[in-house]
Amino acid sequence: MEQGVGKSWRDPELLWKALPSVLLQTTCFVAPLVMTFLLTFQRTRDFQLRWTWDLATWTDVFSKPHYWTILGHTLVMALACVAICLVLAFPIAYGLATRFKTLENEIKILVTFAFITDATLKTFGWVLFLDKKGAANYLLTGLGFPPEMVSFLFTDWATLLGMVYNLLPFAIFTLYLSIDSIDRNLIFAAYDAGASKWRAHWEVTLPLCKPGIFAGSVLIFLLGVGVFLEPKVLGGGTSPMSAELIRQTFETRVNWPLGAALTFVLMVVSVFLVLLFSRVLGMRRSGFGA
Amino acid sequence: MNVRTQDTLINIMLYGVMAAVLLFFYIPIFTLMAFSLQEGRYLTLPFDGISLKWYGELLNSGPALTALRNSTLIAAFATVIATAVGTTAAIVSVRYRFRGKAAFQALTGAPLAFPQLLLGIVLLLWFSVLGRLFGFNTGLVTAIIGHIVYITPFVMVIVAVQVHNFDPQLEDAARDCGASTWEVYRHVTVPLLWPGIFSAAIFAFLLSWGNFYITYSLAGSTRTVPTFIFSGIAVGSSPLYPAIATVVFIPGLILVALAARMRRARA
Amino acid sequence: MIIRGGAIGPPPFCFNGGSKRDMTSAPILDIRDIHKDYGSYQALKGVSLSVRQGEFIALVGPSGCGKTTLLKQIAGFEDATSGTISIDGRDMAGVPAAHRPTSMVFQKLALFPHMTVAENIGFPLKLRKVAQGEIAARVNEMLTLMQLKPIYLDRFPRALSGGEQQRVALARSMISSPKLLLLDEPLSALDVKLKKVLQSELKRLHRSVGVTFVHVTHDLEEAMMLADRICVMRAGHILQLGEPADIYYRPADAFVAGFIGETNLFPVEITSRAKGRVRYSAGSFDDASGELPEALVAEAAQGAALMNVRPELIRRIGPEDKVDCRVTARVTEVFTKGGTVQYRAHTSQGMDLAVEIQGTSRLPMEVGEEVHLGWNKKDIWVLPGGEP
Repeated sequence: MEQGVGKSWRDPELLWKALPSVLLQTTCFVAPLVMTFLLTFQRTRDFQLRWTWDLATWTDVFSKPHYWTILGHTLVMALACVAICLVLAFPIAYGLATRFKTLENEIKILVTFAFITDATLKTFGWVLFLDKKGAANYLLTGLGFPPEMVSFLFTDWATLLGMVYNLLPFAIFTLYLSIDSIDRNLIFAAYDAGASKWRAHWEVTLPLCKPGIFAGSVLIFLLGVGVFLEPKVLGGGTSPMSAELIRQTFETRVNWPLGAALTFVLMVVSVFLVLLFSRVLGMRRSGFGA
Repeated sequence: MNVRTQDTLINIMLYGVMAAVLLFFYIPIFTLMAFSLQEGRYLTLPFDGISLKWYGELLNSGPALTALRNSTLIAAFATVIATAVGTTAAIVSVRYRFRGKAAFQALTGAPLAFPQLLLGIVLLLWFSVLGRLFGFNTGLVTAIIGHIVYITPFVMVIVAVQVHNFDPQLEDAARDCGASTWEVYRHVTVPLLWPGIFSAAIFAFLLSWGNFYITYSLAGSTRTVPTFIFSGIAVGSSPLYPAIATVVFIPGLILVALAARMRRARA
Repeated sequence: MIIRGGAIGPPPFCFNGGSKRDMTSAPILDIRDIHKDYGSYQALKGVSLSVRQGEFIALVGPSGCGKTTLLKQIAGFEDATSGTISIDGRDMAGVPAAHRPTSMVFQKLALFPHMTVAENIGFPLKLRKVAQGEIAARVNEMLTLMQLKPIYLDRFPRALSGGEQQRVALARSMISSPKLLLLDEPLSALDVKLKKVLQSELKRLHRSVGVTFVHVTHDLEEAMMLADRICVMRAGHILQLGEPADIYYRPADAFVAGFIGETNLFPVEITSRAKGRVRYSAGSFDDASGELPEALVAEAAQGAALMNVRPELIRRIGPEDKVDCRVTARVTEVFTKGGTVQYRAHTSQGMDLAVEIQGTSRLPMEVGEEVHLGWNKKDIWVLPGGEP
C-alpha cells in the first residue's frame, strides 16, 4: 500500500517541516564529516594544525601494522558482541511479542529503564561488582566458594561483557518490533500446513524477522565498533580498541590529521562489512537502523 | 512429547532467559545502589556500616550539584529542540511522498547508527575549527547541539510509529468541518500524536541526561553527571559516586513508567 | 414513536431551500470541464456535471474511475488542474475546504478518536465559535434526527457499533447545515443487513432535510435504490448520466451495460435506419422480422452493434410459442437465488447466456437440457458495438 500525500519541494508545508532536520543534519553531521575527511590531508607541527594538503598522514596509517592490529581486535570484539546479543535477544523479543502477555508491560518498562540509564553509571556498577574485592566475590565467598573466583575484570572478557550489557537492548527492541509485526495468521497457516512448532519457527518466524535481525546486527556492530567506555573502564585499557586509539590520538598526541584518518578507516571498514553482510543476507533494499 | 508439555517447556525456557537477562541488566544498578549506602570512605566489602551519609555529602558537594544542574539544563534544551525537529521529520518521512525521500530518511536517520564517540570527536573537530574562526570555545551550547544531533533521530523513529498509525483522513475531516490549518493541528494532529511525542520527549530527555560520550567531547570544561562520575572512577572513588548514580536513577524510573502508561492509555 | 414524529413533520431546523425544491433555478453544483492530473496520470479528463438543488446523485464506477477524485475536488481537498466548480452560483476556485458550503462523510468515517460523540458532532460549530449552549442544543437536534440515544453523547466513537458510528458521522456532517452533502462510500465496510438499514436511513434523511446529496459508491444496487440520477464514470470520463431506469435499460455502451448488472449482449449488424424502423441482421439468434423500432436503438449505434437483453427478460418457451427473438441453448449451470433461479446456457451459436427466471416458473430447466429461449422486443436496447 502506497501511503502518503505527494508533495513538491515548492510546497511550503513540506519545506518548513523538512528544513529543520535537513539543516541540522547537514551542518552538524555531514559538514563535520566532510571536514574530518579534509583534515586527513593536513599535518600538525608543534601541536598546531598546518594546512599542507599532502598524503603524509595516509602513508603513516598504511605503514604501521599497529593500527591495523587494533582495528582487527575491534572488529572481532564487535562481531562477538553482535553474535551474543542476537542469541540472548531472540528468546526475549520472541517471548515479549508472543507469550509474555501478562507481564509484557512490566518487562518492557524494566528493559527500557535499564537501557536508558547512563552507560557510565552502569559500567561503573560493573567495576564494583566484578572487582577482586567486589560484590561478586564477596557474595561467592559468603556462599562458601574459594576467594577471588571472579577475576576477569580488566581483561577483554570484561570489555565484552560491558559491550553486550550496553548494546543488548538495541537487539531486543529491533527484534521485538519485527517479530511483533509478523502476521500471526502466517504462523497458524504453517501449523495448518502440518508444520511442527519448531519447523514453523524455522520456516516462517525466522525468515520473516530477517529485516529485524539485520537492522539489530548492523546497529550493534556499528555501535560496538565505536565503544570506548567499556575497554577503558572494564578492560582497564590493557588492550585498546579503535575508539580508544582515536581518542588518544586526538587528546594525548594532539594529532588531528591522524585521528581523522583513523576515524575514516574505522568508518569505511565497518560500512564495508555491513554491506558485505547485507549481501550475504540478501537484504539489498533495507536501509540502516531506521 | 505432547503439545501441552512442549508449550509449557518453551514458556519455562523463555521466562527463564528473560529472568536471567533482567537480572543481568540490574546487577550493576543494584550494586551501585548498595554501595551508595556504605558508611566508610572506600568502595570495598564488607561495609563499615550502613548509612545515608554520602547522600548528605552529595548535597554539600559543589561540583556534584553543578554537574546535576548542567545535566538538567542540557537535557531540557536538547529535549525541546530535538522533539520539535524530530516530530516534523517523522511527519515528513511517513506522511509525504516527495522527490529525494530516501535521501531525506537516510540523512535524518544516519546518526542513529553512528558511534557516539566518533560523532563526538567529529563534532569536536568541527566546533574547534569554527570556534577558531568565530572565536568561541566548546561548552554548554556545543554540548546541547551535539545532543540534539544524536537524539533527534531517536525522536523521529518513535514519533514515526505514531504518525504511521494516524489516519490522515482525520485531518481532511477536520478541514471539512471548517478548521483552518492551525486549528487542524491544535484540535486533531497534535492531540492524536501526543502520546508518541510525549514518549519521544521523555526518551530524548533520558538519553541526553545520561549521555556520556558526546558530553565528554563537546562540553569543554563543563561537567555533567556522567562525565563527573567518569572522572571520579579515574581518580579513585568514594561512595559519593554511587550515591549520585542512585539519585540519577530515580527520575529515569518515574519518567519511563509514565511514558509506558501514556502509551497504554492510547490503546 | 416520538423520535420518528419529529423527523417526519417540518424539519426541526432550517436548511436553505429545504422545504421547497426548485428544479428550474440555477444548479446548486455546477462542474465544468474538470481535469485533474497527478504527475503524468490523468485522473479526470474533462468532467462536466450539473446537479439540481435537493437532488440525490450517485457517482458510480469501478475503482480508479475518478469518482472519489471528483468528490475531493468538490470538497476542496485538492485543486483541479483545470476547469471550474461552482456551488450555489459561486466559483470555488481558491476556496479552501474549510470555507466551502460542503460537508463530507468519509469512507472510514474519520471520527476523531480523542473526542466524545458530542464533541465530534459539535466540532464544526465549535470551530465557528458558536456559543456552548447553542452547540449543545444543535447536537441534541442532530441526535434526534439521526435517531441516536442521548446516552451515547459522552462515549468515545470506538465504543459504538458500526451503524452508530455511521450515524454520528452523518450528524457531524449535517450540523453545519451544508448545501451539499458528499458521501464517499460510507456504507462500503458494513455487512449486508446493516447496509440495507442505513440505506433507507439515508433516503429518509435526504427526504426530510432536502439537502443535495452527492454519493460515491461502487455498489450499483445501492445507487439504483438511493439516487435520483446516476452518473457512471470510467477512466476519468463520465460515460452516462441519467435516471436509474435509463441507465439500467438504456445503457450508453457495453461497459455501462455490463457494469450495471449481469446482462447478455448479442452482436447484431444494423443495415439501415429509416422511417422509424431499423433493419438489422442478427447472427447469434433468430428474428424473422429483421426489424427494430427506432426507439429501442441508441442513436450512436451504426453497423456492428450489440443488443442488450437483461437476464430477466429471457424466458423459456415452447417450440411453437410466439416471441420476437428466439435461440436454442443447452443449460450448463443452475443457481437458486432466493425467489429467482439463475441459469447459464450455451447457445447453438456458441454464446454463453445468463437467464433469470422466477422460481415458481412452470417450466424449470435442468442442467444438460436442450431448451428454447426467447424474448420480446420490449425493454431491450441496441447500443453501439465494441468490446463489452
